Amino acid sequence: MRYIAGRVLAYVTLFLIAVVALAPIAYLLVLSTKKRIEIVAQVPPTLNIDWDQVAKNYREVIDTQGMLDFVGNSIIVVGIATIIGLIVGTPSAYAFSRLRFRGRETWSSTILSFRFMPAVAVAIPIFLMIRAVNLQDSFPGLILPYVAFTLPLVVWIMIGFFDEVPIEIDDAARVDGCGRVQTLVWVLLPLVRSGLVVSAIFGAIFVWNEFLVALFVINSRSMNTITLGAATLVSADRPIDWNIAAAVGIVTIIPIFIFSLFVQRYIVRGITAGAVK
Amino acid sequence: MTTEQDRSPVTRRGSGSSRRPSHDRRDALILLGPCILYLVAFSIFPLLYSLRNSFTDLGISKDSGKWVGLDNYVAIFNDPFFWNAAGNTAVMVGAAVVVQVVLGTALALFMNQKLRGSWFVRGALILPMLLTPIVVGVMWRAMLNPDWGIVNWIIKQLGMPPINWLGSTEWSMRTLVIADTWQWTPFVFLIVYARLQGLPGHVLEAAQVDGAGRWATFRNITLPLLAPAIAFAAIFRAIDAFRSFDLVFGLTYGGPARSTTTLSFLTYQSGFQFQQYGYSAAIAYVMVVILIVASTVTLRFVRTRGVEGV
Repeated sequence: MRYIAGRVLAYVTLFLIAVVALAPIAYLLVLSTKKRIEIVAQVPPTLNIDWDQVAKNYREVIDTQGMLDFVGNSIIVVGIATIIGLIVGTPSAYAFSRLRFRGRETWSSTILSFRFMPAVAVAIPIFLMIRAVNLQDSFPGLILPYVAFTLPLVVWIMIGFFDEVPIEIDDAARVDGCGRVQTLVWVLLPLVRSGLVVSAIFGAIFVWNEFLVALFVINSRSMNTITLGAATLVSADRPIDWNIAAAVGIVTIIPIFIFSLFVQRYIVRGITAGAVK
Repeated sequence: MTTEQDRSPVTRRGSGSSRRPSHDRRDALILLGPCILYLVAFSIFPLLYSLRNSFTDLGISKDSGKWVGLDNYVAIFNDPFFWNAAGNTAVMVGAAVVVQVVLGTALALFMNQKLRGSWFVRGALILPMLLTPIVVGVMWRAMLNPDWGIVNWIIKQLGMPPINWLGSTEWSMRTLVIADTWQWTPFVFLIVYARLQGLPGHVLEAAQVDGAGRWATFRNITLPLLAPAIAFAAIFRAIDAFRSFDLVFGLTYGGPARSTTTLSFLTYQSGFQFQQYGYSAAIAYVMVVILIVASTVTLRFVRTRGVEGV
């Protein structure tokens, strides 16, 4: 009897955890299907959905406000910044994992400590630099600093993955006549594939959500990334159409949701990198 | 003859290079060069630039940018807004470390029971921390709306007086902490849970066979084994909470009456809104100094735990 009561309690708790985690998102989803007046008049909101209104709200967000273009801008910026981050960061993670050289500790600590740097400390200098080379309001102006933000994550995660590959593999490649760089490219990279995926995911999430530097660098509306687009549509200093704001929120959440379904196990791997060994 | 130990990747890592040691430096230069150059250009240089700006009166006007020595720093320490922001930031850090770490650890222990359907809840828990903080802020602004928000409706159904979550200085900081906790407790959960999964089951069983009660087993065995993961999660949360900006921007914009202005937000406001670049840089530098100390401690901690190369 006591066992059964305990089990029931455990399942109720489990259910409540899921509710707390998902309810805010579900609430936003419901609000995004309503008329403006219904949000104020109908408390709590009912679940009967008027599909015409749904179409109207999302058309407003996607067509009139251009959220889909912002999603596209973000995908371009995130994609390019992440790829460059991997290309630049992976070899240095390999060097930190395999080579003995002077300053190794200092450099690895320095690179990794940038993981903790507050964006506000560099946003203004980066903005002034980008302006000085006339790249403000352009994708390169955003991608250049973003790569620097992904590097600590890539290096941090990749060192762990390289460390797991036995050194014998390097030695064998060396015997077969491979140099360092060849060993890395042809022999090791295929072995740390999942590490590349994990770092790419973390770099991508960081850049996707980045807001402050984008706020400084980008001025014109057509160049907005998704965070900027969302922020301007729901900014605190003007009255909000909450049904539209909710739809904006949902449009930003959907790509993240789909992404998380595919990469869940990698996310766990990346977050626990360094913490669990 | 090599022993089994010698062949393990950990002990041999790096020693393979002993065959051609002279090449290591050249190889390191090729492999590390791009990364280091990049960071010098886009992280180290901006930081030094910021440092220089913090000693000037740089602003929007053309004749600004004169050297003013430590004036900005003196001004900061006499600025009540700075101390206000420092206090709010301390609340964010404290809440992250205490509330989120305790909740996250409890969550990990609970989920470790392997209940049916817990895979789904684990998936659900990952979602909040992937969301854009700006959107999380907006989401909670809807939930907590004083007129039609669902939370106050529930509170009224329970027969309690509604709460002015975002409009009162009494509640605004707590509200910020609630939204932050919703988003980031799962981070602590994932780290502690992963560690819990990796614990050798036979240690816990042995303790129970020895007659240790559940509480004693937890206190004396599970908790010490989880301690590194908990500490790791706490440090990461503390540093990220210290930098809180996006959520503040989306949820409260620092208000009402500056009651939720964090150091990051104050830096942003004085730089972006008021264009006092020099003053803003000085606040940022106070943050950087605190962080350098904090991350040095962190990295030392991580290293002593045997996560080598970090």
